Amino acid sequence: MNRRIAIFALAALAGPVLAQHDHSSQQMQASSMPFGEEWTHQPLLLPRPMRNGSRNAAVLRPRGLDVSEVVVYASGGPSEKRQVAYPVTLEGAAIATAGPMVGNYHWVVARQEDENEVRVASTVWYFSNPGPAPTEMLLMPKHELEIVPQPLPREHGSYRESEKWSFLIRWQGQPLANQALTLETDSGTRTRTTTGADGIATVLFPRDIAPTGGDAGEHAGHGPRRVKFVLSTERNAEGKRYLTAFNTTYSPDPDRERSLGWGAAFGLIGMVAALPLLRRRTATADFSENKNA
Amino acid sequence: MLKALFPTLARVRFVVQLLMLLLLVYGSAIVGHYAAEKISGELPALSCAYDQQNAGYCILIPTQHQIHHRIGQGIVMAQKVTFGVFVPLIMTVLTFFAFFFVLGKMFCGWVCPLGTLQEWIGKIGRRFGIGLRRFEKGDLGDVKRVRPVKWVLLLGLVFLLPLLAGLGVAPHSLGNPYCDICPSRIATTLLTGNTEQLAVSTDDNISFTLNAIADLLIGFTLVGALAVRQPFCRICPLLSFNALFQRLSPMRLVKTKHAACDKCSICTESCPMDIKEISEQSGRKAYHEDCTLCGRCAEYCPQDGVITLKWGPFKLFSSSREYYKNKVKRELPDGTVKPVKIVKNAATPNPADA
Ligand code: SF4
Ligand code: SF4
Ligand code: SF4
Repeated sequence: MNRRIAIFALAALAGPVLAQHDHSSQQMQASSMPFGEEWTHQPLLLPRPMRNGSRNAAVLRPRGLDVSEVVVYASGGPSEKRQVAYPVTLEGAAIATAGPMVGNYHWVVARQEDENEVRVASTVWYFSNPGPAPTEMLLMPKHELEIVPQPLPREHGSYRESEKWSFLIRWQGQPLANQALTLETDSGTRTRTTTGADGIATVLFPRDIAPTGGDAGEHAGHGPRRVKFVLSTERNAEGKRYLTAFNTTYSPDPDRERSLGWGAAFGLIGMVAALPLLRRRTATADFSENKNA
Repeated sequence: MLKALFPTLARVRFVVQLLMLLLLVYGSAIVGHYAAEKISGELPALSCAYDQQNAGYCILIPTQHQIHHRIGQGIVMAQKVTFGVFVPLIMTVLTFFAFFFVLGKMFCGWVCPLGTLQEWIGKIGRRFGIGLRRFEKGDLGDVKRVRPVKWVLLLGLVFLLPLLAGLGVAPHSLGNPYCDICPSRIATTLLTGNTEQLAVSTDDNISFTLNAIADLLIGFTLVGALAVRQPFCRICPLLSFNALFQRLSPMRLVKTKHAACDKCSICTESCPMDIKEISEQSGRKAYHEDCTLCGRCAEYCPQDGVITLKWGPFKLFSSSREYYKNKVKRELPDGTVKPVKIVKNAATPNPADA
């Protein structure tokens, strides 16, 4: 018995010792200045880093379009709170969650229209506010040409390198087949896909994040790093050009920051540590042996 | 028909466990993808939030997060302890209790995916004649020696370290330390074909160490379960969390005193948690903090009506000599399935004598 405990203890103690290898690559570095967005010309809604990160307020700054307000859509709550406009000041638009229980995910739209063009920047913002799932809110038509995530990453999750995600493109509320969707990332990738008959395009997030790229996640040094991307699509109709973009962030493939080899090794050590328990063969023989001891 | 499909309580439980395992590990296709669509974010079973295909999350993750972010960091921001910082945790526990009230500790014996996996591995062990090891004197040592571990893990990893991390006393990477060592995280994600959780985080030394412990624990549990029944359950902090509330649910185990108990103890032999109290005690003490309400003791008690599974005033299952006689023909109390040739020895009571 004691030997078994010793093996297990040894295995457990091996962890910290083996963990002494180099973690210097984990040093976080912001890859780019918040508003020097050289990587794309698409309209964007970009968060201003908040000093005392609040769970229920954020400042989003429109880039590449000139708007006086942004509209925030919530998943639940009374109807007047499901769609709230916030003015854009020099700082940006200070948005907030409209009340309790309206749901975590908020959809944010900035729309600019002139004679020749309708430009839309859209993004999704997560406020920690339990409430209904965003499924219906996403399905509700909000403007002419739309990019709709189908679905969004689950709460506390994110888009990640090497993953495939679906996006619906809609025109006047109807799925738009055979429509091009362009992906651009802050890491420099540019790819293009096309929607199928159902209006859905599948986007593969490229494995392009530099080892020290991106901004620290929710909390510095905790949670995955985040790198900006934008999806965009455009269409000419009724003599106008419609350009719609959806931007948010994606994260490094988790296996860059996790070691499967070590994981499997520790799992095996655990298994080996349990082997002595199996030594005695038949249940009843052992049992009587114990009883008689 | 029903009788043929479900001849024993064990069969009913097996089917429930199977359905619950499928639902909790793969159920997002049925319930939905977003948190709001899950059955609950506060289930009294280790249904893991890290499993992307699950149908509900276990109570331990919101507990750690709320103690970390809402209580710990809330106190730091307000510079004092206010009632407000406790509200989210209270709401979480109330939601948990809405579920726990209905099934009580059956969440362990009938619902928890990790509990089910361990039990099924144990069945394989019995099939292949791997000797059953028990927590008793002369084998693995007195069961009382392991019992405090689950309380230490609950207090230390679920309550204390997240609080210290929130207060800024402990490093941020100790924000949800129990999840970081939780073997259910590894097992359930592996069941969905995802090796991401098995891989250890190389973020920092603390995460690396905690993740390594999770892998050691699941490795040890998967192999150990061949010989020891429910090896992880014995130290599981959710068992102690559930035990905090076990007297508040109408679902319970009721044992009455019987003269035969002194010489029998067959219920303890059948108990996957090696609970001596079920044979030695009666009343409140017999329904022990380690009980998972699996009902095996009631199935194996040869005395009519001595052990009963009850919900409030309703008897769900009650021990009886008739049932016992049929039961031991299929399976011995220790779980051995083909009993006939190797039955006779001092430790396993002869069914015919009962
Ligand atoms: S890791 Fe364990 S404790 Fe954490 S959510 Fe998953 S099952 Fe629950
Ligand atoms: S004690 Fe066992 S069955 Fe209960 S929650 Fe823990 S692992 Fe699951
Ligand atoms: S006391 Fe009975 S119901 Fe409780 S765990 Fe043991 S066998 Fe199962």
